[in-house]
Amino acid sequence: MDSHQLIVCRCEEVTLADLLETAQAYQCTGRELKLRTRAGMGCCGGRTCRTLLDQIIVQTTGQVPSHTVPLGYQPPVRPISFTTLGGR
Amino acid sequence: MSQRILHHPVLGSLNQRKTLHFTFNESSYTAYEGETIAAALLASGVRTLRVHEEKGTPRGIYCNIGHCYECRVSVNGVPTVRACMTLVQDGMEVTAGTVLPTPLKKGDVAHG
Amino acid sequence: MDDVLVIGAGPAGLSAAIACAKHGLSVRVVDEFYRSGGRLLGQLHQEPDGSWWNGIDEAARLDQEARSAGVEISAGVSVYNVNRIDNGWEVSTTAGEFHAPMLLLATGASETAVPVPGWTLPGSMSIGAAQVMTNVQRVRVGQRGVVIGVNILSVAIARELQLAGVKVDRMILPPSSAVTGHAGNPEAVMRSLLRVAHLAPSPFIRWGSQLMKSHWMQRLGVSLYPAKGFSMWDIPIQLRTGALEIVGSRQVEGVRVARITPDGQTIPGTEEVIPADFVCIAGGLSPLAELAAIAGCPFAYVPSLGGHVPIHDEKMRTPLPGLFVAGNITGIESAKVAMAQGSLAGLSIASTHGVLSDQSLIQQAIHQVEYVRQKATIQFHPEISSGRAIISQMATECMGI
Repeated sequence: MDSHQLIVCRCEEVTLADLLETAQAYQCTGRELKLRTRAGMGCCGGRTCRTLLDQIIVQTTGQVPSHTVPLGYQPPVRPISFTTLGGR
Repeated sequence: MSQRILHHPVLGSLNQRKTLHFTFNESSYTAYEGETIAAALLASGVRTLRVHEEKGTPRGIYCNIGHCYECRVSVNGVPTVRACMTLVQDGMEVTAGTVLPTPLKKGDVAHG
Repeated sequence: MDDVLVIGAGPAGLSAAIACAKHGLSVRVVDEFYRSGGRLLGQLHQEPDGSWWNGIDEAARLDQEARSAGVEISAGVSVYNVNRIDNGWEVSTTAGEFHAPMLLLATGASETAVPVPGWTLPGSMSIGAAQVMTNVQRVRVGQRGVVIGVNILSVAIARELQLAGVKVDRMILPPSSAVTGHAGNPEAVMRSLLRVAHLAPSPFIRWGSQLMKSHWMQRLGVSLYPAKGFSMWDIPIQLRTGALEIVGSRQVEGVRVARITPDGQTIPGTEEVIPADFVCIAGGLSPLAELAAIAGCPFAYVPSLGGHVPIHDEKMRTPLPGLFVAGNITGIESAKVAMAQGSLAGLSIASTHGVLSDQSLIQQAIHQVEYVRQKATIQFHPEISSGRAIISQMATECMGI
């Protein structure tokens, strides 16, 4: 298997090749990488691949990790049903 | 050989546990009280708990502590239940996720 | 309404709850696992004196002590949002909304993923998954497995698998890629193992410590590293073998491996497939701090603590009023440190609430954390103390104290 076909985001099946190409082409932030590829936007909320996306950004754009969390978090941090939210 | 570790050199032996029955994709399985759905199925040799909703690739437990959601199944009709976090109850009906239609996916041509 | 809400019923959360309850506060602990204990559940290691440290027993002891002190423990409850409100915090969970003036986040850590081609195949799991399945659920994860990723955590868990009669065929490195960092580099792996050498008494480390005094010796050590690896508890640790791909049609059937150079490059012509029905992937741990982020807590990036951690002072207070942290959310350390931090956070909460009559208890608890840290037999990073100092400095700047 070509190592670039390696899946990084398991939820959305986004490959390392997709991520590297996108990060290189757009020299973007982690957030933009996520929005362009859907990596980190699946059912797990990015808990599994978030640190990997951070590494890809550091390596392709040279952006040094800062004290700010690179990929923001939004509630809900768990997938929940509309019933839980008060719906029926 | 049973996949259950009934005797452990440090953790000791598991005593008589209550037997429970449940179904996974309409087949019957046995569990012991205190086992998660993922554990009971693994003990019966079942590793695949769902397929990727789009690509159809098989998935099983990955983190086993509720972080990754790879093991999500439907339990008694309720979707997105983590098999690794949910204890088997007698009579539970568990079903695996299947491939879902994605008609609006970028690049796809609508058929029909 | 409770006085204190604790999220996470692991070593830190339970210890904090006990300290709060003993000072007369009403405490509720929520945890999304079906039983309390957090990552204590499954931990099993031998102390230098030969006795076994069993995390399940420790969890049961803390759970019992907490309940006797009047703590309400709600297991199987997931938190999905945290909001600051007047005079406290609103926490949204799958069991409804909870409100409390004081909130402690003790959510622990998550495992760092190391992607390997084929890692989505059923039978491929994180090393922690195998630990819980083996020691808590008491089900074998397979007949014969390969551990990909060699670090202090994976070596400890591989031994636990072996102890339970699960065959670990060998431990090897992940493939070198843009997302594996140093984990695929034999020299770097050797260095990181040796930095904790004095803390982990074992045949492998003892061999290593003698050989690896200097940098060029380290290079030599990896260069001369035997293909079969060195065995620790009968598990071959092969630092010069790298995983190329996990193979199988519908589930794991084996791992395609190759010999690798000291800097992690595949040596052509050395490929082979090792049969296996399970694979454990080990990339270490990172603080699980998502609730601190949505609560609005500022963060610090400190690699020796495992990445981004919420800023907190030595009393485990964050800059946000009524928000406290303890345990691995503040940096990756052993469960014993987490317990000491939890007890400290509990006292700090009691003090903030105005129910702690003896303030010297806090100083004692701070010293206790430091004492346990220095004495720890399992330390994930050698520069923990300097990482802690950075956080304290940032807290001082942030909180004006």
